[in-house]
Formats: sequence, structure tokens, C-alpha cells
Amino acid sequence: MNTLPLVTAIELYLTLGIAVFLLSLHGLMTLHDPIRRLIAVNLMGAGTFLVMVSLARRSEVPDPVLHALVVTGLVVAISATAFALRLIIAATKADRRGGKPEP
Amino acid sequence: MNLALLSLAIPLFSGLLLLLGGRALRTRTTGFIAIASTLASLIAAWLALQEVAAAGTTLLLNLGGWETGLAIRLRLSSLSALLLLFTALMHLLIGLYAGLSRAGINRDFWALSCFLHGSLAALWLSADLFNLYITLELLGLTAVAMVALSGSKAYRPAANYLILSLAASLFYLLGVALLYGRYGELDVLLLAPRTEADVITRLALLLMTTGLMLKAALWPLHLWLPPAHASAPTAVSALLSGLVVKGPLFILWVLWSEVAPPTLAQQIGPVLAIAGMIALTAGGLSAMRSPHIKTLVAYSTVAQLGYALMALGLLLTWQLPQMHIALWLFVIAHGLAKASLFLAAGEMQASLGTRRVDGLRGATQTVPVAMFAFAVAGGSLIGLPPSGGFLAKWVLLEPLLSQPQNWPWAIGVLLGTLVSAAYIFRVVALSFDRARINPPDINPDRVGHWLALLPALMVWGMALSGEWLIQLLAGGGV
Repeated sequence: MNTLPLVTAIELYLTLGIAVFLLSLHGLMTLHDPIRRLIAVNLMGAGTFLVMVSLARRSEVPDPVLHALVVTGLVVAISATAFALRLIIAATKADRRGGKPEP
Repeated sequence: MNLALLSLAIPLFSGLLLLLGGRALRTRTTGFIAIASTLASLIAAWLALQEVAAAGTTLLLNLGGWETGLAIRLRLSSLSALLLLFTALMHLLIGLYAGLSRAGINRDFWALSCFLHGSLAALWLSADLFNLYITLELLGLTAVAMVALSGSKAYRPAANYLILSLAASLFYLLGVALLYGRYGELDVLLLAPRTEADVITRLALLLMTTGLMLKAALWPLHLWLPPAHASAPTAVSALLSGLVVKGPLFILWVLWSEVAPPTLAQQIGPVLAIAGMIALTAGGLSAMRSPHIKTLVAYSTVAQLGYALMALGLLLTWQLPQMHIALWLFVIAHGLAKASLFLAAGEMQASLGTRRVDGLRGATQTVPVAMFAFAVAGGSLIGLPPSGGFLAKWVLLEPLLSQPQNWPWAIGVLLGTLVSAAYIFRVVALSFDRARINPPDINPDRVGHWLALLPALMVWGMALSGEWLIQLLAGGGV
């Protein structure tokens, strides 16, 4: 089986994680639709978690502390996303009732 | 240490109780439970402060009895005990207002305010970078839910606030991940002696600082604050402006004064201090031009945080312990004064039936007590003696004035004072315009007005306990 050496693979994933973070940050700053902005924030989270998971893989036995941090971070991200979606939906409904144009 | 944990646990459990009890409890009972638990937490915080003063040192606790390095550590210093006390006092004052004033509040406020209290207490006690991230998220989520309490008009600002707050937390989290990847530690005290001024550390600190400055609405990342704070219900605005923005500021202080290597801290110090100086003037000018009362008060938060940021920046640049005292005196004096300012602004809005600053014409006659609260609290923001704001500014200015090469900073502080005076006096001058009075729509709510005055009187009372506060902050160090 032809695989990348471990060190190169980790560097690749670290770079990818940072790239995802920066691209979605760009998205967050340029987009206006709240749902798209929320997706951008979620992608920033994905980039961060990718960095954390690849940092954990540097030793032969993966670092359990970083895995625990990622799991905790995922729980926070999921709950916050659900809350944000509910708020955005409620805000859009309220705008429609008020007869205001949608942003 | 147990007392400090009690001060954290009481609001947390009463919040859970109120959430589970839900509609089964009567609104009055809900408010009563929340205020009683805040009072209990206040007493516990006071006893914890005595305990740490008697011990004369910082107390540490490894959660769950795990060995150091594996455990999440909590730390009780005299500063964190003081902040616990301050948080409980602010919740008590604002809770009394929310419960007793005629304006009333949505019943969900009580559970959320308990959670807010709990997450702030956890933040002051944490000595672990990841645990600080968790408390930061708890704080952000609770604050957003509280903004949304004021109904459908606030949903849009609340959603924007949440998205920004999440993005800021992720900046912080990425920084934490990089620091852990570099040093393999998350505990502040274990990390502190090991950090070096290399590229990874710089990048991590930069990311964390950006996130925290966004969360604390420090210039130039403050633009989200005025709409979010101005659209919340009055009691919530007071909590958000007085307390919530101080949480990220505390983490910023821990990060730079403890975790960062001193060489890097000395490099960032002047940058932070200049940002603080610009915040003072820019925030003040926006407050001066603002047509709405609550937006004026919200912009004044941006300006006043400039003082704290400046004290932090100069603390890092010169490593002067006096700046540490000034920073925390500012935080406490601003919290009390801002609570009074927001409560008074909310009461005047309700009584006079207007959200505009112009509508305050003749307020000294129509709503005298609320206007008095506004002016007295404003006096502390300007720094008139003998208020708490004066005390903080005096401690900040003393080392600046004694050395001629520091005078440019002193000029920045004085310019900020001038602008603060301008936006406070703009309101006060209008309120004395008795020729064209804006008549009140309803009879003013006397209880509400007096409760709005209470925090303002306390900030003036701070001067009486000034020496005690200064000694406490000077003795505690970290």
C-alpha cells in the first residue's frame, strides 16, 4: 500500500485545517445571508478541529487530551448551531410578519 | 476554596431548578428563588474573600482529585474572590430592580441570569485555558439568549451577536490548540514558566487576542456591541455592559500577564494601550452623536473599556503593579456605574415614552430620581471625585504624570475624560431645559427609579473603601 509518511501527512492536514479556517473566515466577513454566515462559522470550527486532530496524531499513540477537547468542542458547536438556527428562523418569520423586506 | 465553589454552585443549581421547575413555579416565586440564591452566593463570596485574605496566598484546587497536570485546576486569588463578590453584587442589584420595578421582566430572565452568574463565577476561578474556553462559550450563549428575551425585534441582533461570538470563540480555541500542540500543557500555572517567544506562540497569542478583543468589544472590534446591548431588555443591558464584557477582558489579562513570555508582553503592551486611547475618543464621539438614549449608553461602554484596555497595555509595557490596581478598579467602578446608567435610561424611556435623547427635555422635573441616577453614574464615568471612577483614574494617572516622558499617555486619558464629560453633560443639559418639557406618558415608577439610583450610590461609596480595595488588589498580585 502506498501511503504518505506520517510526518508529511500531518503537515498536510495541519495546512488544510488552517486553510479551511481562513477560507471560512473570509466567507464570514463577506457573506450577508445569516444561514450562510452560520455555515461559515461551522466550517471555521471544522478547520480548528482538523488542526487539533492532526496535532494529536504526532505521537505513535494519539494524544487523548486533544481528542477529548475536540469532542467537547463538537458538543458546544452543535448546541450553538441549533440555537443560532432557531434564532435566525424566528428573526426571519418576525421580519415577514412585520412586512419588512428580507435582507 | 469550598466557599468560592459554593458561590459558583448556588446560582448554577438554582438556575437548573428554575429551568426544571419552569411553568410550575409562579413568576413571583421564581424571582424570589433567584434573588435569594444571589444573596447566598454574595455571602459565600464575601467569606471566600476573607478566607483568601487570611491565607495570604492563592488557593488551588485540582478538580476530581486528579494529580497536577492531568486535573482541571481552579484557582482562588484575592482578585478572583473580589470579582466573585462584584458579580454577585451586580446580580443582586439588577435582580432587585427586575423583580420590584413596575417594568417587570420576562420570567425566563431569572433562570438565565442564574446561569450567567454561574458561568462568570466559573470564569473567574478557572486556571486552565480550555476550561476558560468553555466558560467563554457558556457566557456567550447565555448572553445571546438574554438579548432575545426582549422579543421579535431583538432576534436579528441576537443572531448576529451569536454568530460573531462563536467565531471569536473559535479564534480563541485555535490559539489554545496551537499552544497545546507546542507545549503540551493547558494549565495556566504550568504553562507560564515554559512559554518562549517563538513563531507558534506568537501566532497562538495573536489568534487568542483577536478572539478575546472581539468578545470584549475592544476597539476596533466593537461594532457589534451597541445594537446587541441597546436592543436587550433594560435589566439585561445592564448585566451585559456591566459584567459580561469583563469576562473576556479577564482572560486577556491572564493570557498576557501570566502565560505570554514577558518580552512578547512588552511588545504588545503599547499596541493595546494605543487601541485603548483610540477607543476612549472614538467611542465617546459616537456616544455624543447618538440620537437614542440606550445607544448612547452602549457606546459609552465602548469608550470606558478603553480605560481598562489602556491600563492593561501600560501594565504589560512597564510591568507596574499600580496599573494592575487601576485596571480592576476601572472594571468594578464601570460595572456599577453602567448598571445605574442603563437602568435609569430604561426607566426614563418607559416614563417619557421616547427612545430619543431629545425626549429628555425637562427630565430633571418630570423624572427627577432617574435623571439624578443618570447624572451621578455619569459623574463616575467622567471621573469626578470622590467616585469610584475618580479613584481608578487617579491610580492610572499618578505614574503617568510623575514622569514627563509619559505625558502623551496622560493627554490621552484627559482627552477621554473630556469626551466622556461631553456626552454626559449633553444629556444633563437637555434635562434642565424646563422651557420645552417633554411630559411623561405615565406616572413615574418610584421604586424602579430609586433602584436605578442604588448602584450609582455604591460607586460613589467605593471611594470610602478605596484604601481597602487598593490594598487588596496590591497584595493579591496575580
